Amino acid sequence: MDGLYHFFENNSIYVVLTISLIVWFGIFFYLKKLDKRLEKLNNSIKEVSNE
Amino acid sequence: MPIKSFSKLWSSIWKYFLFILMSFVIFAGISFPIVDVPKNWYEFPNIPGLGENAKIIFFHVSTAWISVIAFLMSTIFSIKFLRKKDLDDDVKAVTSAELGLVFCILATVTGAVWAKFAWGEFWSWDPRQSSIFALLLIYGALFALRSAIENDEKRAQLSSVYSIIAFVTVPFFVFIMPRIMKGLHPGSADDSTSGPVVNFKMNSNMYLIFMLTLVAFTLLYIWLWQLGVKSGKLKNKVLL
Amino acid sequence: MVSYFLFKKDIHSEIRSRYAVNSLAMFIIVTISVIMFSIGAEEISDYLTGGLYWVVVFFTGMSGLSRAFVSEEERGTSLTLQLVAKPSTILSGKLLFNLVLTFCMNVVITILYSILFSSFVLKSLSIFLFAFFLGTIGIAISSTIIAAIISKAGSKGTLYPVLSFPILLPLILILINLTKSSMDGVSFNEAFVEIAFLFSYDVVMTAASFLLFDFIWKD
Repeated sequence: MDGLYHFFENNSIYVVLTISLIVWFGIFFYLKKLDKRLEKLNNSIKEVSNE
Repeated sequence: MPIKSFSKLWSSIWKYFLFILMSFVIFAGISFPIVDVPKNWYEFPNIPGLGENAKIIFFHVSTAWISVIAFLMSTIFSIKFLRKKDLDDDVKAVTSAELGLVFCILATVTGAVWAKFAWGEFWSWDPRQSSIFALLLIYGALFALRSAIENDEKRAQLSSVYSIIAFVTVPFFVFIMPRIMKGLHPGSADDSTSGPVVNFKMNSNMYLIFMLTLVAFTLLYIWLWQLGVKSGKLKNKVLL
Repeated sequence: MVSYFLFKKDIHSEIRSRYAVNSLAMFIIVTISVIMFSIGAEEISDYLTGGLYWVVVFFTGMSGLSRAFVSEEERGTSLTLQLVAKPSTILSGKLLFNLVLTFCMNVVITILYSILFSSFVLKSLSIFLFAFFLGTIGIAISSTIIAAIISKAGSKGTLYPVLSFPILLPLILILINLTKSSMDGVSFNEAFVEIAFLFSYDVVMTAASFLLFDFIWKD
């Protein structure tokens, strides 16, 4: 862990990279969740209007 | 039934493809080293005058480009609405305009961060900074207009007209003004070239990564736009 | 010819009530006085004077040019106007009225400005004259189409400058640049690109206004 910390201290660009990737993963999974929710809502409205 | 399940499968496939592409592009754009004489495929050349800052080209230019595309799409849907009076086209136009504004803000902020490191100040009223500020004002005014009208059809009509008038000024602000006026931004009248993107100062693998970034951002824009349109249409259906 | 009669009707009602002329005149006097008070006894550079000139022009325009359409809505006569003429005729009439108004207000501002500010010296007059005329036309056209849009909306007073400023911004930037050039005594050929831009802005805005006015005007 100490070695890893020193590595990140000297090559801080990889800290930037890790944070950017975490942000992107978070955005992607949020969008996926939103997509699923909208699909479900759309389908339930379609069923209600088809009844 | 097979068509419906195939289209659902396809929509998941391209989203996962976007995930992998964007992750790769973020990794490549940030961590590939910049050396004077690139020998491997994962090394970028040192562009004189930019140095390490060059990596921001991938993200800053991409957001600006997507913003212009989004505004263009908004104008196209506005024209469609004025012809057919279909409120769905208005939803598509507004979602595009919102995304355009968001990416414009991102481009402004990434540009300001770059400016701090390259020119010393976050904001120096360089012509390109002024013109992107004007773009923010124009499309901000579009939303101010929309919030001032109660009636749905009137709101769609007037905001379509304004969006078309607004887009007429966009080519001037993005392509003409920053290149003919003197300023600090690469590609202005002070620069002897037209900037690293137009003048191919990047070598072929850097250019490839740049193009991949553009593709990734475009796919992201399309996905965000689809989500916005779905939710806008639902809102209209539920509120009526 | 119908647009000429519309224009005459607006001019006559203007002469009778003198509402727009008075408010524009007061606005010009107030703005220039505020600038002079805030400068005090100090000398300001000629570039600054040039820039302030267009600031005064812009805000005076914002205070007076929306009346062309907003007054019709307020008096309830816009439906009658829709029955009387084609949309393009109405736009021509209102545009003519706003052109005359903008031209008069700009002339007054220029005269007052050159008398009151000693650093407002124009070396190459030809550049400034071109900028003046093409700029007046551009301001009138953009203001008219935006006035038409906001006349149908809600909070008209505050919305008008918010919508007009970004649309007028390319025009204002080029005009400020040209004023700087004319103060420097730049030759006409060097400033030609920007004057050509002013001309193309006027043409493009006029075309867009006439094409889009139908959609704004009809309910």
